Amino acid sequence: MKTEFHFRDEDLRLGTHLVDDLDLDSIDAVDLAVRVEQKTGLSLDEADLKSIRTIQDIVDLIDERL
Amino acid sequence: MSASSLGSEAASHPHRWARIAERGSWWGLRFTAWLFRSAGRGPTLVLVTAIVAYFFLTDRAGRRASAAYLRRVHATAVGRAALGHPPRTWDSFLHYRAFALSIVDRLSIWFGRTDDFELELHGFEPFDRLAEQKRGAIVLGAHLGSFDVMRMLAARHKTVVNVLMFTANAQRINQIFRELSPEVETHVISVDPGSVESVFEVRRCLARGEHVAILGDRVEPGDRHRSSRVPFLGGEVELPQAPFLLASLLGCPVLLVVALRRGPQRYQIFTEQLAERVTLPRRERETAARELLTTYAARLEHHCQRAPYEWFNFYDYWGDDPFSSG
Repeated sequence: MKTEFHFRDEDLRLGTHLVDDLDLDSIDAVDLAVRVEQKTGLSLDEADLKSIRTIQDIVDLIDERL
Repeated sequence: MSASSLGSEAASHPHRWARIAERGSWWGLRFTAWLFRSAGRGPTLVLVTAIVAYFFLTDRAGRRASAAYLRRVHATAVGRAALGHPPRTWDSFLHYRAFALSIVDRLSIWFGRTDDFELELHGFEPFDRLAEQKRGAIVLGAHLGSFDVMRMLAARHKTVVNVLMFTANAQRINQIFRELSPEVETHVISVDPGSVESVFEVRRCLARGEHVAILGDRVEPGDRHRSSRVPFLGGEVELPQAPFLLASLLGCPVLLVVALRRGPQRYQIFTEQLAERVTLPRRERETAARELLTTYAARLEHHCQRAPYEWFNFYDYWGDDPFSSG
């Protein structure tokens, strides 16, 4: 995913903010959600996406659901 | 559909249409809809023609845009044959009048008075095939002919077509329907720049086997950094990548539907599949999106040349008019 989204290693910390630091927009957000779904088998909805602000939030969400 | 801010962007060139649309005030739209409902098609056509004639006389930039577009059409062999002569001011008036006629037809469709419409279908097979497979598609259209005719056709075939619409316009249209015709179901998906809700709504529609229609010939405010410049009628125009990005994300086909007016309540509807599966890997996204948009623009050009007066973008579409007020 790092390569796909052109993220730099130094930008990928747990506290990294997806919108402010990685400049993701709504299409990127759904793209990310679809990829997380494909990798984990989870089903995400817009409420899940709205609750995600940082990489830590994604980790917590996956951890909670799996 | 991006997170960039609206206000400042709306003033820049590709979004002029948003401000121009504001000229058609909401009260005017409401009154016209009311007149159609109470007095019918004839008086509404008189009113709408008068309004359009007023715009024709007062909107110099619009007249110039129409003339520039017709000159581009005339510069092609097919367009020259369709117009018959080099475009004159009268042809621009006919262009405006075609818009008036399309508005009245839209009202007929919105209010369910569709029995008298005669539809000639060219290539409806992609819809039949998707219905068999219970799959939805992104249905791409343009401000070319009537998009609403496609919705009428879908209704006749018991297919649901939802229309993705910029929030401000969606609210306005929904309010008119709520007041004047509460029984009509609009199937409008409202798009807020930066919000993910609309993308999930599109996903749900597709999962139900419904289609989602998008007009793809104008860059919406906020979509500026997700657009490509492609050739169109002898120049280059900016088109949004969003419809193809959505199709790529949600794994659905993209159809093109163009409905051209060929006489009183008589339309030819052309349907074709632009892509069965859109793949836009991020690394090659720009190139792949540009390729798809080039095909889309070429198909629009094909129809513009054959039905020149059906193109309803009355602003400096190519952004090359030095006298355009911006």
